[in-house]
Amino acid sequence: MRVEFRLPSLGADMESATLTEWLKQPGEPIHRGEAIATVETTKGLIDLEAYEDGTISEFVAAPGARLMVGAVMAHLELEGAARAPELSAQPPSAPAPPLEAPPPAAAAVTAPEAARVRLSPAARRRAHELGIAPETLAHAAAPGAIVHLQDIESLAAARPAAPGEARAAMRQAIGAAMARAKREIPHYYLGHTLDFGPARAWLAQHNAQLAVGERLIEAVLILKAVALAAARLEGFNGYWRDGRFERSAAVHVGAAIAVRGGGLVAPALLDAHAKDLAALMREFSALVTRARAGHLRSGEFTSATITVTSLGADGVDVLYPIINPPQVAIIGAGAIRDAPWVIEGRMEVRPLITLALAADHRVTDGRLGGRFLRSIAALLADPQSL
Amino acid sequence: MDINAIRTRLLALLRQIAPDIEPQSIEPQRAFRDQFDFDSMDALHFAAAVSEAFGLEIPERDYPSLTSLEGAARFVQSRLSAGA
Repeated sequence: MRVEFRLPSLGADMESATLTEWLKQPGEPIHRGEAIATVETTKGLIDLEAYEDGTISEFVAAPGARLMVGAVMAHLELEGAARAPELSAQPPSAPAPPLEAPPPAAAAVTAPEAARVRLSPAARRRAHELGIAPETLAHAAAPGAIVHLQDIESLAAARPAAPGEARAAMRQAIGAAMARAKREIPHYYLGHTLDFGPARAWLAQHNAQLAVGERLIEAVLILKAVALAAARLEGFNGYWRDGRFERSAAVHVGAAIAVRGGGLVAPALLDAHAKDLAALMREFSALVTRARAGHLRSGEFTSATITVTSLGADGVDVLYPIINPPQVAIIGAGAIRDAPWVIEGRMEVRPLITLALAADHRVTDGRLGGRFLRSIAALLADPQSL
Repeated sequence: MDINAIRTRLLALLRQIAPDIEPQSIEPQRAFRDQFDFDSMDALHFAAAVSEAFGLEIPERDYPSLTSLEGAARFVQSRLSAGA
């Protein structure tokens, strides 16, 4: 069946993206979950994945084209029933035209030299990592020639460390998304402090038997506890769309990851409720590495059903988070700190953590929110249950 | 192994984990956490890389020795000479 492959929305803060390269050619078989194109967004380079098996019939957008969310990128011939991925935002009903018409393939050679700059994929990736805008590279190579990786490297070596333009764009995107969240979502906030001692003791014992590369970190226990609680209690896992709450059976936990030097991305750990801690740790580790390298997959952006955010060991006691639309809940984990705690009438120094919940009042209220936080605390108090 | 050779190798490992770090800007005594916003995941990746590169067992209680370049270099040197 012939269907249109459109630019998906990869988050509330995304309006457009630039097609960087096609990873498959027309006629070549494509498989569900396989990357078929790379686009550049304010969150970095993202691989767009096929959502069904099939082939690409023809390209509509050419590399270099800036596309609005929902714009047709290619026509696909799919084997399964043709449908857009359930979890991505629905594209607008009218196809949006590309913002800028892609230049004809030969145009770069004949156009004046100030026109579009052509970069090899590796060069584009490196330029993005360094926060260098492709438009500023006109003099990095001979007129009409392609800018290669070594051109970028020599340019980077020559110039003083400049604050990245990409970082500024990311800051702007975060601002836009959070402004929308605060404007549209009636947030309510709850906090709950718990003794992280049992989880920490269990973790130390668990890790003592493992090689460094297989050990777990505390954050993974929190991610799993949130995922399990979200799967059990209705109203926190899913999306607010078209004026109503859509529950998701699977829990895809968005993990907010700080990008060194500023900025934040929150890609998803898919089916976190159903994975054991070792698998979750491996995926989280790979996700952090790819997020910091600025290379995530489209599925990871579109699918988070709830988010967990933390400032890490250097953080503060309480983090009041803002919901990432269209999600309806987010957990902020404070830093674990040693503090007095009362156990059976005695005062002891224990490692404490405060979890804060921000949830959408259109879906739940404080009573249910309190149960949700207590259910996460109960899971962390009994780490075997994770 | 000479401590300078260990430092050079540690720097290379650090660059693998955080490619955005500029080697000439590193302050050897200062904690990675303060210099590069290292979090627990970075610390684990670094410990795993050190363990593999030098063939050392690194229990969790030794993690505090790996928080700065100088600390890590001294730790690796003492462990290598203890094993030799």
